[in-house]
Amino acid sequence: MDFLNPVINGFAVVLEPMNLLYCLIGVLIGMLIGVLPGLGPAATIAILLPLTYNVEPVTAIIMLAGIFYGAQYGGTITSVLLRLPGEASSVVTVFDGYQLARQGKAGTALGLAAIGSFTGGTAAIIGLTFLAPVVASFALDFGAPEYTALAMLGILLVATISSGAKAKALIAGAIGLLLATVGRDVFTGENRFTFGSLELADGIDFVPIAMGIFGLGEILYNLEERHRAAKAPSALANVWPSRKDLRQASGSIGRGSVLGFFLGILPGGGATIASMASYAMEKKRAKQPERFGKGAPEGVAGPETANNAAATSSFIPLLTLGIPANATMALMFGALLIQGVTPGPQLVEQEPDLFWGVVNSMYIGNILLLIMSLPLVGIFVKILRVRAAILAPITALITLLGAYTINNSMFDVTLVVVFGVVGYLMKKFGFEAGPLVLAFVLGSLLESSLRRSLLVFGGDPLGFFTRPISATLLIVFVLVALLPGIRIMLSKRKASAAEAASDTKIKETV
Amino acid sequence: MMHFPSRRAVLGAASAITLLALTACGNVAGGATNTAKYPNGPVTITVGQAAGGSTDLIARAVAESASKTLGAPMPVVNKPGANGALATKEVAGKPADGQNLLLLTASLITITPLAVTPEEAVNLDDLDIIAGLSQDDYVLVASKGSGFNNITDVTGAGRNITFGTTGVGTGSQLAQTVLFKQANVKGTDVPFDSGKPALTAVLGNQVELATIQLGEAMPQIEAGKVTPLLVFSEERNSFLPDVPTAKESGYDVPVAQYRAVAAPKGTPQDVKDKLYAALQETFKSDAYKEFNKKNMLSPKEIPGEEVMTQWKDYAAKYKSLVEKYDISLSGTK
Repeated sequence: MDFLNPVINGFAVVLEPMNLLYCLIGVLIGMLIGVLPGLGPAATIAILLPLTYNVEPVTAIIMLAGIFYGAQYGGTITSVLLRLPGEASSVVTVFDGYQLARQGKAGTALGLAAIGSFTGGTAAIIGLTFLAPVVASFALDFGAPEYTALAMLGILLVATISSGAKAKALIAGAIGLLLATVGRDVFTGENRFTFGSLELADGIDFVPIAMGIFGLGEILYNLEERHRAAKAPSALANVWPSRKDLRQASGSIGRGSVLGFFLGILPGGGATIASMASYAMEKKRAKQPERFGKGAPEGVAGPETANNAAATSSFIPLLTLGIPANATMALMFGALLIQGVTPGPQLVEQEPDLFWGVVNSMYIGNILLLIMSLPLVGIFVKILRVRAAILAPITALITLLGAYTINNSMFDVTLVVVFGVVGYLMKKFGFEAGPLVLAFVLGSLLESSLRRSLLVFGGDPLGFFTRPISATLLIVFVLVALLPGIRIMLSKRKASAAEAASDTKIKETV
Repeated sequence: MMHFPSRRAVLGAASAITLLALTACGNVAGGATNTAKYPNGPVTITVGQAAGGSTDLIARAVAESASKTLGAPMPVVNKPGANGALATKEVAGKPADGQNLLLLTASLITITPLAVTPEEAVNLDDLDIIAGLSQDDYVLVASKGSGFNNITDVTGAGRNITFGTTGVGTGSQLAQTVLFKQANVKGTDVPFDSGKPALTAVLGNQVELATIQLGEAMPQIEAGKVTPLLVFSEERNSFLPDVPTAKESGYDVPVAQYRAVAAPKGTPQDVKDKLYAALQETFKSDAYKEFNKKNMLSPKEIPGEEVMTQWKDYAAKYKSLVEKYDISLSGTK
């Protein structure tokens, strides 16, 4: 079996003691910040990016990935016990999880969440394992025209799918695109928006933007918010869910895995949207929907499964196409670039150890999380008592030191501070950072790929439709762009029967 | 339930680690200050390219060996930006005491000024060159889909040919545009960010030709996935003895990437001598020779003054070539 060889070699990579250690550190940090409200996985990864500079690429990504999916576990704990979602993706878990805890079934809720998370995560890894080589087999067919189409589709989806206010997401996206144009034009050597500064000749580096907006911005925002009133955690008993609960929840775990997997792959999707969609689906499917909000086990199991499946599957577009599907993946993209690895279709072939090492580390990480999550609940709850006044200066210091070490440049530190303020103001006024960062990453890809394609096509834009992959992607682009228009037309016909749908607006911070 | 570590225990552990780190640093600094007046502490080599690239690898190979002879640590600091202009300007502004060195690439001096504004260009007169290091050759490769097996296939094709370059203002771009003009072939210049994506585009038949550095192209040449057409060095490359040079094929376009160790202008002669001697020791070491071989680099270990004249000659030659054929490295599109 030729196909399985690299997969098995990947396990050998994971089982190296160093990688196992970093996997453990990653999931531990992930759980920790999952428990702490405010600081999300994106912020943590942004802050820790420079620290991974001196370790092997595979080790670094294993740890950063661990932080991401570990946070999905951690966020559940506070949602259930304290009615305080640690993560945006655990917000819906509050509805039924806290109710279960009040009925003395906190253990059941946490147990279901852990089992669901494990199942969803594992299912998504298996999906990733089989899907990645398929995409990679097209590696050499992915040229400039294909990337043009992919980047256009990505930017469109990011702007339309994101869960906050549409207009604000579009504004943030436009700023991201504008920032991407700064620097020496790759095609003509002409300077754009550099104001004569050599520091800006290569454009603005992605890492200081991410560290500023996600890292420093979040730290500043958390200083302002003083919502952390320490509550006594509910008592914990019967950690393992009963057979009846499991049977009741098994369907929603299965559905959550599939739903989360697909929503995670979609650009602009991610763990938060997956958990919300799963909750809505479970409620719709239930025979007695009135049980939801009063402690329905499915209301915990479904979303918790979906958010983990999505967290894992969002690695697929990044590792196979080099397209980050959400803001956290954009940070992973940055981490890979710092390590000198360009993610793309050739990654599976050229760096099989890295690819399969990272993918397989997720099995191990999920097992570690399953083992740790239940017995360590008490400790994690205690961490909530650490005051922001202690946490904030430490994290801010790590951020600024880290920013300096990447390029040994004070200019980068200044950039982090500037973008930190930008990030803080954006958060304060309800702008999402995700579209800005993603548009920034995809914007430069779009510009250079588009211009490169047009050079190759001799200036003929119809050339995009002569290549099967780019033509297909562009057709999908047109469909997605027209979809809202078609929907509006349909709903106008049914306008008389229309009822105002209540919009749950939860900020996407994944 | 596990016992949560007390605050005192955590603080104790943290301070122990800090103390350890401090003593470790102290030893290094203490050892260096006790030696003769140069080197006085660590000798930093700044690299204008990102870590992991060929320029960075060369700096690290040189530093590893030369630090032993000098008796001082030689940390390599990466300060990427503007093709290396940022790092060059920074080092040129440091005190001329030999404690701050630069790994300089020739293209920054000879080719980049043809593409950027005069204020952004680097002036060789702001630096003292200690010694030349090596020559990194460019090879013109053709995709399998193009059907080109030698340079006459290209010149006789009688159609527009797409060629990938490693970016604006690079040797790759200069070599190909001049070659196309001299051979009177029409071509479209497609710039990529570096050698790797340009090579990928050739592999995927998105461009027909590309000129990349030999070390990068070699694995695909050996695998038979791209065809080497010619090298741009003045003499045949020892790693590709069967591939003709551009000169042999009748084209006057000698382009290669050269690298040298430089220091700020006005560095005292005895410091320069000491550095030169340390570099000579490096060049003799088997580890460094092996490094050059592995990375397909041809040694070009010449004294600083020679580097100075050669690079200035190349700069003048390229300038006249570009003017003669009315080539613009930037405004062609």
